[in-house]
Amino acid sequence: MPIHRKVVLAACFHRRTVGSVNDTWRASSDFKGLIHTVTAPISPLDEITPNPTERRSRLEFKDYYQTLGVARDATAEDIKKSFRKLARKYHPDVSKEPDAVTRMQAVNEAYAVLSDPEKRAAYDQLGQGYQPGQDFRPPPDWDAGFEFSGHGFSTAEAADFSDFFAELFGRMGGAHHADFRAAGIHVPGEDHHAKILLELEDTFHGATRQISLQIPRLDTNGRVALETRTLNVQIPKGVREGQMIRLAGQGAPGRGEGRPGDLLLEIHFKPHPRFRVDGRDLHLTVPVTPWEAALGAAVTVELPGGALKVRIPEGSQGGQQLRVRGKGLPADPPGDLLLHIKVVLPPATTPKARELYETMARELAFDPRAERRT
Amino acid sequence: MREDDILSGSLLEETWLTLEQVAAACAVEPEWLARHLDDGLFPHVAAVAGTWRFSSANLARARRMRQLERDFDAVPELAALVADLLEELDELRVRLRQAGLS
Repeated sequence: MPIHRKVVLAACFHRRTVGSVNDTWRASSDFKGLIHTVTAPISPLDEITPNPTERRSRLEFKDYYQTLGVARDATAEDIKKSFRKLARKYHPDVSKEPDAVTRMQAVNEAYAVLSDPEKRAAYDQLGQGYQPGQDFRPPPDWDAGFEFSGHGFSTAEAADFSDFFAELFGRMGGAHHADFRAAGIHVPGEDHHAKILLELEDTFHGATRQISLQIPRLDTNGRVALETRTLNVQIPKGVREGQMIRLAGQGAPGRGEGRPGDLLLEIHFKPHPRFRVDGRDLHLTVPVTPWEAALGAAVTVELPGGALKVRIPEGSQGGQQLRVRGKGLPADPPGDLLLHIKVVLPPATTPKARELYETMARELAFDPRAERRT
Repeated sequence: MREDDILSGSLLEETWLTLEQVAAACAVEPEWLARHLDDGLFPHVAAVAGTWRFSSANLARARRMRQLERDFDAVPELAALVADLLEELDELRVRLRQAGLS
């Protein structure tokens, strides 16, 4: 079905720029960490956005039928069935396969092509005689006359697709911002999403963190080039896991005169050796002596916000929790500090210690297993 | 580092995401989201002064449900049930990590 060339270009521009960046959210959602708090720049998108020079020099043919495990004459129903089977097998949330994310991307890509009659027809026509992995050279301007739609895949997902797919179905042909402005098309840029990994201490004191993002941008020839952006971000005091910091105007650029999108940073904490965070609350295990637990005591606990003296009530037992209101994360309202009491026995390694234990054994009528016998 | 080089953002829980923003981020029609909200499939999304307010967790849930409906032709209620289970799985995995068991 012939369509207006400009529409194809606009759709491709959208996919190749915004999609790739949006991908930071998805790939980082399984803690692969496309964005980190770093002091040196990182190259988080290298895995999914190869060097544009390499792309020009070598393009491997992909056998989508092989990827989905179906014959070349498979019906649409067969293709759907096979896709679902693989989508279950490689579902990133539950799959035990080590390369589930990569495999799912390949399966999505194959399905995007083979489930769409027009894309499938184009692929069949162009792929005749090619073997998987073989160098692929599409004839110039081959895509004139085809209309390619997203067919259910978002721009972010389509950004995971291979260079082979991009060459076939997402060629730019040199459109850039000026084309949109000239055409009177003004579209706001999309929001970008990324995770930021913080130390727990950062929420107690507030912090400035430098983050580096590598974002694919289109050059004037319509080719993707990686651009490194370094941002210094103020982390407000009291942030909690799962919250998002919105940086206005730091997302994808708008098309035409559209305003840029925002950058949304989702807060996560690195695991801490001593503390556990649950929402606003801070959990900490406090070792106490038997006499501190039995007689009560004031003990000092070291918190990221400074030392705190806490009263252990008389008659405390191991495993009990003490809640200290307002001493958790300094959010608004502040969270609580939950102290888990752990009674630690002194070792009976000296004659004096043995004597004390023997005195207790003799003089205290105490049987911790008494309940079990009743 | 100069003071004016430092970007200060707003915390999303104070600003939240709107229905339209979530729809755009998930590549779904706002109507899809509105229908699912009406059907009670986003139990933790609240409306304040007539405006739906989405957190980052709600956004992740919308993405999952949309993917389940698309990949498996799941009915919305089934997609919501799977999303419930995956959220519980997420929480348990966080606990395992915090306990140093994974």
